[in-house]
Amino acid sequence: MQHRITLAWAAKEFGLHHLLSMMKMLKQLRKWIFDQAERGVVAKHVEAFIREFFYQNPFSQVGLVTVKDGVAHCLTDLGGSPESHVKALMGKLECSGDSSLQNALDLVHGYLNQIPSYGHREMLILYSALSTCDPGDILETIQKCKKSKIRCSVIGLSAENSICKNLCQETGGLYYIPLDEPHLKELILEHAPPPPTIVLNFVNEFAIANLIKIGFPQRAAEGSVAICSCHKEAKVGAGYTCPRCKARVCELPTECRICGLTLISSPHLARSYHHLFPIVPFYEMYLSLLIDQQNKFPRSCFGCQQSLLNPGNKPGLRVACPKCKQHFCLECDMYIHESLHNCPGCESTRHSKIPNINEG
Amino acid sequence: MASAASKLYADDVSLLMVLLDTNPFFWSSSNLPFSKFLPHVLAFLNSILLLNQLNQVVVIATGYNSCSYIYDSSSDSNQGSDHGRIMPARCSSLLQKLEEFVIKDEQLFKEGSREGISSSLLSGSLSMALCYIQRVFRSGPLHPQPRGSSDGPEQYVAIMNSIFSAQRSMVPIDSCYMGSSNSAFLQQASYITGGVYLKPQQPNGLFQYLSTVFATDLHSRAFLQLPKSLGVDFRASCFCHKKTIDMGYICSVCLSIFCKHHKKCSTCGSVFGQAQLDASSTSNRKRKTPET
Repeated sequence: MQHRITLAWAAKEFGLHHLLSMMKMLKQLRKWIFDQAERGVVAKHVEAFIREFFYQNPFSQVGLVTVKDGVAHCLTDLGGSPESHVKALMGKLECSGDSSLQNALDLVHGYLNQIPSYGHREMLILYSALSTCDPGDILETIQKCKKSKIRCSVIGLSAENSICKNLCQETGGLYYIPLDEPHLKELILEHAPPPPTIVLNFVNEFAIANLIKIGFPQRAAEGSVAICSCHKEAKVGAGYTCPRCKARVCELPTECRICGLTLISSPHLARSYHHLFPIVPFYEMYLSLLIDQQNKFPRSCFGCQQSLLNPGNKPGLRVACPKCKQHFCLECDMYIHESLHNCPGCESTRHSKIPNINEG
Repeated sequence: MASAASKLYADDVSLLMVLLDTNPFFWSSSNLPFSKFLPHVLAFLNSILLLNQLNQVVVIATGYNSCSYIYDSSSDSNQGSDHGRIMPARCSSLLQKLEEFVIKDEQLFKEGSREGISSSLLSGSLSMALCYIQRVFRSGPLHPQPRGSSDGPEQYVAIMNSIFSAQRSMVPIDSCYMGSSNSAFLQQASYITGGVYLKPQQPNGLFQYLSTVFATDLHSRAFLQLPKSLGVDFRASCFCHKKTIDMGYICSVCLSIFCKHHKKCSTCGSVFGQAQLDASSTSNRKRKTPET
């Protein structure tokens, strides 16, 4: 299963990705179930989502918008630091009045329209109301979003309604109603990796790929003192130095205040590289072959040295890498493909190394 | 990026994976010869095993052409008696395996000698160590400990993958670097996974460094003042020439790094429009236009 979707995954991880998460909280509906504790639950899941989102999309930005009393409020601006969003989220979140989907869409549309053409625009709406009270024609707003290529997905916290369904269908998003709390968590986290359909659209239709100039700053020594350019105060240690103008900044990723260079740390970038260079699936060794030529094959797993023989010296299940022909146990196979994304066999021979990376 | 949160370790049993760099190109240029380096390490391994009965040590040799397990303390615990021998069985078996490994590595080099890259296969041995750690993960705290030679920028992606995997499973990577200049990869690895990076000032006192800094188990590390990092090198290597760069371009579609402007991305194949000028140069230009 996992092997089959590798290609899709490789496509998924492309690109800069903007997403606005919208929490709509409404007083009168489902009040009996949506009490203080429940709201905390939603906030907790959104927090997990924000962290996972930044883990998977290091360059992306998120903004939070809430709707209450028919007015959409901007909780946080589009930004790249998970901490500030989480802090705002953990503050007071109140539910009151009617909900207006149109106002919310308008506000988000205004934000997302400003971002550069190479970014994806996405909206994730957590909607608890059953209806929407709008100042104008919401269908026009939906068309406007569609035109701006904003993908809107809705997770409904109450019963399914037609306008959300319409919104998702028009803009190519997903509409789900969770069955229970674990399902809600699952649905929210599903939106963390960028969806592949967007990428295809993105590459074919409005592909304006660009090279972006960036700098990799070095982390200064723990004891050094410098004036940071973002807060304009002297700080001891724990800063980064812009490679172009040598100004000190406090955290990454950011834009240098002095010369405007985009600053990131290379580990941020490298997190997604395993999607670009996926490792080939291992093939299973057939038992009959193993029994015939038992002595020719290694007795233990190349990765963890665990014996590959079942009790009684019979050959057990094993897989082999088609490139380096090393044998692995099933546990290592799983670990290698799901978490490590390196084949220990290929990595420990000189010859297969260089083509491995150049091929992609 | 924050470094990995350290787990709370209840007991002080350790599994220590030692990745021993046996790259001949590196050791020939080092000011501490390999033959003098090895006794320090052997004494260190012995002291780890003496610290706690349940401690386990695994040594992986990282050569120029291959990597291999050369010692596992769990598999040879009851090998006869040590009395009457010049060297304990533990050391002799390790040395024997190491010698076999070096000879094999050398043969592989003769078969396939070509360009003059002199970096070790750190990514391979790190991957192996992590596989082993996954196998024994229930058994307690663990720290793999690479020590090594110059970086091979061509291993960038693979090493990064290993580091993130280690971070996810909360395995600190300690590094004791014997070379003359600092190693950016090992610095990043230790910083991200919350391990210790140390470059001994006095190579002759290596054993003291090893036993005071790296022999401490993760539980007691909370109470100790371990050496602080002297800055971390966060540079990446570009995909086109495998050079380590501190400024460059990234493709907006697949985030590949390039050291200069290209017309087409070699990784994902997208064709780039005009080079996007970064904010500073645009603003400079705006400022300059009235003058010109």
